[in-house]
Amino acid sequence: MKTIIAAEGLTKTFGSFRGVEELDFEINEGEVFGFLGPNGSGKTTTIRLLLGMYRPTAGGARVFGRDPDDDAAAILRQTGYLPGEFALHPRLTGRQHLDFVAGVRGVRDRKLCDQLVERFEVVLDRPSRTLSKGNRQKIGIVLAFLHRPELLILDEPTTGLDPLMQREFHQLLRETVSEGRTVLLSSHELDEVQRVVDRLAIIKEGRLIVTDTMENLRKTVPRTLEFRFAAALDPEVFSRIDGVRVLNADGEHVTLSLRGPLASVLRVASEHDPVDVIARPADLDELFLNYYRDGSDGDSPSEASHEH
Amino acid sequence: MNIDVSLFDLRLRRRMLMGYSLGMALYALVIVYLYPDFKNSTSLDQLVKNGPTAAAFFGINGSLTSPSGWLNANLYANFLPLIMLLITIGYGAGCLAGQDEDGTLSLVVTLPITRRSILVQKVLSLTIQATLLALVTMLCVVVGRHYELSIPISHLVGVSVGVALLGIDFGLLAIVAGTWTGSRGTALGLSASIAVISYLVSSLAPVISWLRPARYLSLFYWSVGNGQVSGGLSLGSAGVLVITALILLFTSIWTFRRLDLH
Repeated sequence: MKTIIAAEGLTKTFGSFRGVEELDFEINEGEVFGFLGPNGSGKTTTIRLLLGMYRPTAGGARVFGRDPDDDAAAILRQTGYLPGEFALHPRLTGRQHLDFVAGVRGVRDRKLCDQLVERFEVVLDRPSRTLSKGNRQKIGIVLAFLHRPELLILDEPTTGLDPLMQREFHQLLRETVSEGRTVLLSSHELDEVQRVVDRLAIIKEGRLIVTDTMENLRKTVPRTLEFRFAAALDPEVFSRIDGVRVLNADGEHVTLSLRGPLASVLRVASEHDPVDVIARPADLDELFLNYYRDGSDGDSPSEASHEH
Repeated sequence: MNIDVSLFDLRLRRRMLMGYSLGMALYALVIVYLYPDFKNSTSLDQLVKNGPTAAAFFGINGSLTSPSGWLNANLYANFLPLIMLLITIGYGAGCLAGQDEDGTLSLVVTLPITRRSILVQKVLSLTIQATLLALVTMLCVVVGRHYELSIPISHLVGVSVGVALLGIDFGLLAIVAGTWTGSRGTALGLSASIAVISYLVSSLAPVISWLRPARYLSLFYWSVGNGQVSGGLSLGSAGVLVITALILLFTSIWTFRRLDLH
């Protein structure tokens, strides 16, 4: 599979301020790669490095095999970018912005542009200062997609969009990827990331703490089992089992976190006269929040999936 | 060469440019129209003779009532450069550092245009703005031929080119300061301060002997402060202004190249 983005030891500091440190990751053609992290974790800094807006302090990146620091224009020809803090010239209308960008990009066939305008109900004929944040964001979406780029770099793309438009945007992403194009989606919205990405990197305080496919992350996330027994029992009988952690024990009620096969737990439970059991699916939110809080915890995915 | 970025910036500033140009044109026409009433006023010349230092503050020296003295004192030595620098320093500080601070520069720098091309297109826009103001003023002054205000066209063209180059030089200085620091405020402050010092050195040098050698460091001296209205713009003066512009242009390409953008 063709590598579209490759970062190696990518580092950026701003004087004594941390930007990002020694990032290593690859994004392959045709995948939606999620970049998840709390505000200020270094997502936007990474994106600006990939677009040649920042110069790296150390390490480097290749996008379409080119160095953004030397050849950003060639990269940008094939790339659509939607910044997190999308700013328009207040006195100009959306149409004037579209005309400018389409002109520079040499987009003569405006069919796709018109379709996007219609699809997202973009207001084009009012000065951008009179538009709501959501309506300005829609103009940004059209500007990022109008030249049918091979790579889309989207920084918090659904900020300000109402739920209907968010759904429309996610549909657009799916269509984009089905055409074999590549998406780097930066977000702090867990729901959005879970819904659309194939592979995910979690960044915290400028460092990547995990990079893995969503499928693997889901596999490694523990399930929760809540047992009710006929009589109180010692929870120690469960904590001896590999991959099991006792989250709560209150007399006849025992709540377990389980990673791995269910059989061994059921065997032990069956010896203690279980009355009821509730199994809850893997909770990715909890996993992500643990990463956000601590960088990792006892329930984090296997070391093999950690790149840092 | 693609000039979309230049045209886009000119569109952003068209109202302001039209306002300044119209104002400057009206002012120039008033100056021209008033000349017949003052051309025989010996008291004006006496005023300069009695207070040469005070007059020098306004860039005035020599006769006030000759056609070239009148234009120099009322237009080319002070008011026109002032308006010119308001436009060009304002644009120089705003076109990269300012737009970067606003966040609107990301619209341009994420398009497939090299930074060098963006910079050159911004400088083209700066040049068009400076030329427009100098040209509009010059055309209004040409009307002065009907009001006994006659100076050779070549001198008028020379001083107009000088003022335009002065504006371009200071605009470029603001671009360099802006792309060096990433701050519109610093670019404005630094460029305006250097312009004021440059103006004072050129204006006061004729009456303050110890300042005389420093006048060669002033861009005002090479553009409007060395009798350009009466004698035209010498090749040497034009050369200093053009070389300064080229040095600043290449410096700004380097400073913009290393600037982190937002």
